[in-house]
Parts: sequence; C-alpha cells; structure tokens
Amino acid sequence: MQSLGVVISGMGVVSACGKNIPETLDNLGAGIRNYSPVSLFETKLDYPVFEVKGIGYGDAKTMRTLELAFIAAGEAMEESGLKNRLGDLRIGVCMGTTIASQLNDTDFYREYKLKGSASMRSIERYLKSNLAEALSEKFGAHGPASTVVNACSSGTDAIGVGLSWLKADLCDVVICGGADELSRVPLAGFGSLGVLSELPCKPFDQERAGLNLGEGAGVIIIEKEEMLRKRGRKAHLYLSGYGLAADGYHLTAPRPDGSGLELALSFAMQEAGINPGQVSFVNAHGTATLDNDLVEGNVLRKFFGPGVKFLSTKGYTGHTLGAAGGIEAVFAALGLLHGWIPQSAGFNKADDAIGISPVTKKTMVSEKYAISTSLAFGGNNSAIVIARE
Amino acid sequence: MNIAGLGIVFNRGRALQALEKALEEGWVLPQDAAYAVSEDILKDKSALKEMRRADAFSKMACLAAYDAFMDSEVDGEKKRSLGVILTTAFGPYVTTLRFLDDIIHYGDASVSPTIFSHSAHDAAAFYIALALGSRGPTLTITQFAHSFSQGLIIAETWLKSGRCEYVLVGSADVCGEVMKYIYRQKLNVASDGKIKPFSFARAPVAVPGEGSVFFLLTNQETLKKYASISALPEAALKKPDVYILDCDGTTGSEEVYRQIGKAGPLISSYTPIFGSMLTVSSFNCAVAALMLKNQKCYAAPVQDNPHGLNLCTIRKSAKINSISCIRYGCKKERLEIFLKQ
Repeated sequence: MQSLGVVISGMGVVSACGKNIPETLDNLGAGIRNYSPVSLFETKLDYPVFEVKGIGYGDAKTMRTLELAFIAAGEAMEESGLKNRLGDLRIGVCMGTTIASQLNDTDFYREYKLKGSASMRSIERYLKSNLAEALSEKFGAHGPASTVVNACSSGTDAIGVGLSWLKADLCDVVICGGADELSRVPLAGFGSLGVLSELPCKPFDQERAGLNLGEGAGVIIIEKEEMLRKRGRKAHLYLSGYGLAADGYHLTAPRPDGSGLELALSFAMQEAGINPGQVSFVNAHGTATLDNDLVEGNVLRKFFGPGVKFLSTKGYTGHTLGAAGGIEAVFAALGLLHGWIPQSAGFNKADDAIGISPVTKKTMVSEKYAISTSLAFGGNNSAIVIARE
Repeated sequence: MNIAGLGIVFNRGRALQALEKALEEGWVLPQDAAYAVSEDILKDKSALKEMRRADAFSKMACLAAYDAFMDSEVDGEKKRSLGVILTTAFGPYVTTLRFLDDIIHYGDASVSPTIFSHSAHDAAAFYIALALGSRGPTLTITQFAHSFSQGLIIAETWLKSGRCEYVLVGSADVCGEVMKYIYRQKLNVASDGKIKPFSFARAPVAVPGEGSVFFLLTNQETLKKYASISALPEAALKKPDVYILDCDGTTGSEEVYRQIGKAGPLISSYTPIFGSMLTVSSFNCAVAALMLKNQKCYAAPVQDNPHGLNLCTIRKSAKINSISCIRYGCKKERLEIFLKQ
C-alpha cells in the first residue's frame, strides 16, 4: 500500500486517439495516428493537427474546451462510482487549460475594432467556460476550485494541486486534469515561433522537425484510500508524488542544463518515497521540438540511466497544451494498469545528442511506478508519480 | 501564514507609501472612466531589467512581487525555496488582443512570436521568477469569482507540506479599452466615477480598475511583519474587529451583504480607491494588513451609508486584532479571507 494513500478512482480521456478509454487503448495498441489538416476553423496554415472528430464545436453558450472536459470528466466520474454519491462529499475541482482562459475570439475583436461595439455572445461563452467553475457547477462541487494556466504543464500542475488539497484534508475527492481545444491562436503563434512540423511529429527522433497541435481532455478522480475502501471499492492506482520547479531562464526555451526538470523529478520522487531504479517507465513531455526533446532526453538519461523505458504519446494526440498533462497522466496510469505501453509513435532514428531512445514497439512494463513529465512556456517543469497496487 | 512583505501597483502609484498616501487622501475621480495604471508607474530599470519586451500585465505583477520580496527580511540566498502564485481573472488579455490584431491584419503566417509568447497567462509569473532568481514552484491560476483566495489556499498547502519556505501570492489584472466596453455592456458603470460599496444595491455600480498586489508569505513567525492571513474555513474569526467588504459592482446584486451590515463590528471597504476588479479582494487584504500593522483604521474612501452601518469614517488609531475580508461571488457564494495581528 502507498504511504500517501491517495488513489485514482476514475479516469477519462478524449483526444484524437479516442473519445474514451477503450477506444484510446485500441488505437494506442494498434499504433494508429489520427492526424489531418485543420477543419475546425479557417486558416491558410497547412500543418497537420490532431482534432477530435465527431463532437460539436461547443454549444452556443460554452467553449469547445469545456465540452471536451465534460466528456473526460463524465467518463472518469462514471468509473469512480461517485456519480450519484456526491451529496455529502467535499469535492474539489482543479483543471488546467490555456485556450479556455483566453479572451481570444477573433470575430468578436474584429467586429469591435470595426464598429466600436460587438455582440457579447462570445464574451458570455468565455465567462461561462472557466473550467474549474463550470465543472464545479456541473458536479455540485463546493470544495476548492482552481483553473491552472501554467501553459503546457497546466494539466500536470492541476493534478499536483489536487494532490496537495487531499493531503491537506481540504476535500474528500478532487476532479483534476486538463482540457484544451484546437484554436487558431496557438496554431498561428507556434507557427510564428517556428516550432510546428509540416509532417506528423517525431518525438525524440534525430530528424524531428517540431510539434503538431492537438486537442482533448484528460481527467482523473483522486480521493483518499480510506474513503474508497469505505465505499467497498479496491484501489488499483495511486497518485504518489508531484514536483514543480521553475527554470527562471527563458520565456519559451527550456534551461539547457535541464536542472529545472531534474528538480521537479526529484521533488516528485521524494514525495512518492521512491528512487529512479523503481520507475517502470516515463511518459515524457516529448513535443518533438529540437530544444525540448534534447533537454528532456538528456535529463531522463542522466536521472534514470541509459536503460530507461520512455515514450512520448504526442505522436498519437498532438500537443494538446493545457490538456497534455491530464491526458498523459491517464496514459501513464493505463500503462501501469494494463502492463504495456505503446510504441513511441513517429520515432525512427536515434539522436546521438540525446543518447537514449524511446520504445519502438508495444512494450510490456511490470514495475510499480510510472512518471509523467511536462515542460512549459514560462520555464515550468512538472512531474507526477503514479503507482499501481 | 504570516505576511512578511507586501508590494502593490495601482492607479495612485507603486509601493506601500503610495497606498498609505491614497488611504489618507481618500477617493479621487478616475480619469477616462477607469482607475488605470500609468506607464510612468511601470518604469524601473532595476526590477524590470530583463523585461524590455514584456507587457503592462507582466510589469505590474513583477513590480508588485519584487517590492513584496524587498519589503521582507527574507534572506536573498533563500530564493531557491521561494514559490510564486499569481492569480488573475483575465490575464494578459490586452496582449492576446494585440496578437489577434496581427492575425486580422497580417494573417496567420505573419504574426509576432514575441506577442504570442507574452499572451500566455504564466508569462508574468515567469518574469517574477526571473527577476528574483527563484527556482521554486511557480503557478498561475485564473478564476472569475475567487482566484485570490484560491491562491492563498494553495500557498498554505505548499508551506505546510514544505514544498517551499516562502510563497509570493498575488493578483494582477489589466483594464484596457475592450474591458471598459465589456464593463459597460455587462455591468452598471458609475456615471459619477464612484463605487458605492455600502449601497448594497441590486444593480451596484462599478468603475473599471487595474493593478497588482503581492504578499510574501511564510510560516516563520520571526518574519511576520504585518499579520497572519488565511482563506481556510478553519481560520474563521468568530468576531472580527473589522469587516472589509469587497463590494465593487462586478458580481451582480450586492443585497446579500446586508446581513453583514447588521453584524455589529466596524465596517469598511477600499474598492473605490482601486477600482472594480474580480481580484479586488487582494487589494482590500493589503489595506487590512496595513491596518493591523499600523493599528490604524483608514477611513472608507466613499462613505455613502444608506443602511446606517458602523462605518470607518475617519482615519484613527485603533486596537485591531482581526479583520475579515468578505466577498460574495456571482452565485452568492461567500468566501472570506481572515487576517490576524
């Protein structure tokens, strides 16, 4: 049993890799990559993206990001068995995002600039789409609620905050993770930074040429183990540790020596009470940009040794920004639960400057602990430790 | 948690001297219908030396955080154990709109990477970490209702668990023309430029504001300079000496505050000095911290008092042990921040 006793009692995920966990597992196992040109909005940029097909573009009143969050949270809540038992519980909600926090409606702004006034419809949608506030309302949660906007580590940090709430006994249950929709703003922005690939992304590959954007949501339900047992359920997965550290170096580039990520890993493993040798695999941030993969790969080699099993799942989902930490936490947990991780999609050729390679085929994993990492704009480095029974 | 340092940037200036001066002078008419922060206030070659490209949002936050750290007696060598939590309602939305300008005028392929990178909500927290040399946890959170109190709660868990020894917790929000437009469409903007916090009106008036305030927090008693602060329910005060109300016209009907008005203790609100912001509770908490440190009641800047409350009407010395800052959100949910001497 874990010393921390915080269990993952439910998981839900939606991405281009699948609209629920069974579909996602099938696609991961088969190595299917659902990328396509952008169809959600008009743009002259023709980078491949990973869109979630077959769901609406939000409803008239809320943003698509919220719809994605509801899908993942609904699946997680269903699995947790808490869906109809929330009445007396102190429930916290902590969700990460980037897009749902931004007042970034181009049509509204264009109209405002032209006329000096504009329809308030998009503003109303924005105001109703704060993830923590909206999920709290949907699930009747009255505990702490926070929407984390730490750029690409938002989802991981939201999970870490949720863990700290439980450990401080601020609530009984936390709904946490991340969600983000594909949007024109980051597509143009990452394009301007020169970090988008014109081909399907190749994390950690010597010929990697940048990231592909994606969208989705990943949500986990965490609660104290004693509460789960009182409900007559058995714990299979634990959230054991979280680390967060700043680079304090550059707004958009990781610190070259990777010391921020090392600190985050150290903190997370210290909280979990484990050492690098106990880690079964790492679900890396692995964006397929030159800088990220070089720094992250070198830290993983140094920290865990040259034999570390690791992968990036962004070859299946694209970079889902604020959702990435939530989605990848679910993927890491599924790997532990089912005993396998998929091939690191897009990888073919080892990069000598990194010195280690991700898994190139579906790989069995048997140890007890997995780590999921996130690196972000602003120099944020985050890591969580997930364990199986 | 103990408040070891305090920094503020607002319409009337920067740092605590400006705040104390504003509290003495009282209400002033806003210019251009908003309490905006002038560019002159945001000039500091030392604190902002690596922020040439940063926007006003980041500069305000960085200056407030920098001043809070400098106001404290925390050893500069301890910066590795310094966390940063920035709370905001709208983040650097003016920069996001500048980026949309690029998209509209030049197309998706010809936008500025610098503007894009500064449109991220966490750019300000990055600059704070950079300016102070912090390598600790850095978090930005956003809510429309109670983001500052949520930031305090997270800080408390970080300090209790030993994740860091010190945390800079603060808020920042910018105003701008589009926000003024949204205020006019969504809220009842005051025609006389005056927020009336004690009217407890069904359609209260608002005046847009902007600024940033930061608190350097630690559990170390020896570093306590102002007061202790907490947003946790177990810290609730049975009978505070003063209630500070966050009424600023941004969260709909303020009739719900009437029940507090009948409670008895001294009542005040300083929102008319700062302007209406969803993060205004952090500014009122800064005043509360000063009151507890200086053992002074500052006069409420606007004293329209239709309900006959026991208002703070003049600046005077007073024995104050505890203050409760109260905010009701749009759904009438109540959150309190408790400060004790």
